[in-house]
Amino acid sequence: MSSEELIQSQAQELRRGTVVLACLALLEQPQYGYALLETLDAAGVAVDGNTLYPLLRRLEKQGLLTSEWNTEESRPRKFYRVSPEGSRVRAGLLREWRDLATSIARLTKEIPPA
Amino acid sequence: MSTDTLTERYVHEVVRRIPAGQRDDIADELRATIADTVEGHRDADPAAAERAVLTEMGDPVRLAARYSGRPLALIGPELYPAYLRLLKLLLATVLPLVTVAASAVDLLDGKGAGDAVGAGIGAFFVVGAQLVAWPTVVFALIERTRRDGEPLPGTPTWTPDDLPEVPQQEGGRVAGMVSAVWNALLLGLIVWQHTAEPVRTDGKRLQVLDPALWSGWIWPVLAGLAALVAIDLVRVGTRGWTVPLAAAHAVAQAVFALPLAWILHERLFFNPEFLGTVNGGLTVRDEFYTVAALGVLVVAGHEVFKGLRAARKQAA
Repeated sequence: MSSEELIQSQAQELRRGTVVLACLALLEQPQYGYALLETLDAAGVAVDGNTLYPLLRRLEKQGLLTSEWNTEESRPRKFYRVSPEGSRVRAGLLREWRDLATSIARLTKEIPPA
Repeated sequence: MSTDTLTERYVHEVVRRIPAGQRDDIADELRATIADTVEGHRDADPAAAERAVLTEMGDPVRLAARYSGRPLALIGPELYPAYLRLLKLLLATVLPLVTVAASAVDLLDGKGAGDAVGAGIGAFFVVGAQLVAWPTVVFALIERTRRDGEPLPGTPTWTPDDLPEVPQQEGGRVAGMVSAVWNALLLGLIVWQHTAEPVRTDGKRLQVLDPALWSGWIWPVLAGLAALVAIDLVRVGTRGWTVPLAAAHAVAQAVFALPLAWILHERLFFNPEFLGTVNGGLTVRDEFYTVAALGVLVVAGHEVFKGLRAARKQAA
């Protein structure tokens, strides 16, 4: 594996856990699956549909999201939004995220950029 | 909506693997999502876009597993160590016992040695298959019924006390001695049964192995065995394997094992006269020869591999 490929695969590991946080952040506004995927993509959080859609279901089952069918438009779509419990979890995750970023910044302070 | 579009077939394949209660809801959402994605696809041709989108979504079995949270492995990582330990235990203890017992029962019943060996081999395969199959079924069921993160009831959790001893780092001297003695014994037995003709019947003395071998295939076998003894002794003396020694060992194993496997495979092994006199006409089953020939090759191959690996490790 070239170092470029190694970076890619390790970066994927790093990003894996951030999808949940990104969803909880974006779904403050109700959104349906495909639109959420596009928004995430545009924000640089790359995720596959076959990962995202089951993930939304799981978060709903865990009580972090609520959902509602919107039948006003020509195509009925399921809209997800963050529940009060989801907001609390998001706050906790954000705190973890910032702690982690601080720790990594401190750890890498001495390392010159390659 | 027509029911034979690719999308419909895809949705059906996914939801039929999902608990009935969620099926309709997931199907509706999946349809809408696929339609949205097809619309947003850069490919202008709707049929090509649909195909591309479904390809992107991937195997329905995998997607269904993600929706239902079911494992995609027969036995997952949490149960696998316990599963492996149980299999090893069963195959190392129960299987040899049953094999020996099956042979012993036949012998006690007064049946011939050939029948007994056949019964042992039969028991080995039948019981061996069962010993692998049933734990696998049980573990797969447990994997599918237990809750996430729940430890397996009845299995002790691993502790440092379970660690095996580190293999002796004395260059394999004991193993070398054992191997030398074993090969020398084998060599002696073959020569002894040829010169002493130990089987007595009706005033005649017979060899166990086919005497015809002595004008042919037995010589490379004996030469190989002698070389193996010498190499084992050198290895004990030099306290371990070197690459040239391991290479010589590989050659000696080949000189010994290939002709022996050939002799077994061609059924040239036993003295027909001997078989005819023991137990009033002994027939040796074909399976015996096949299994014995394969066994010789596997054991020799394993020895060669062990030697080469140890030599490489010592050289490193």
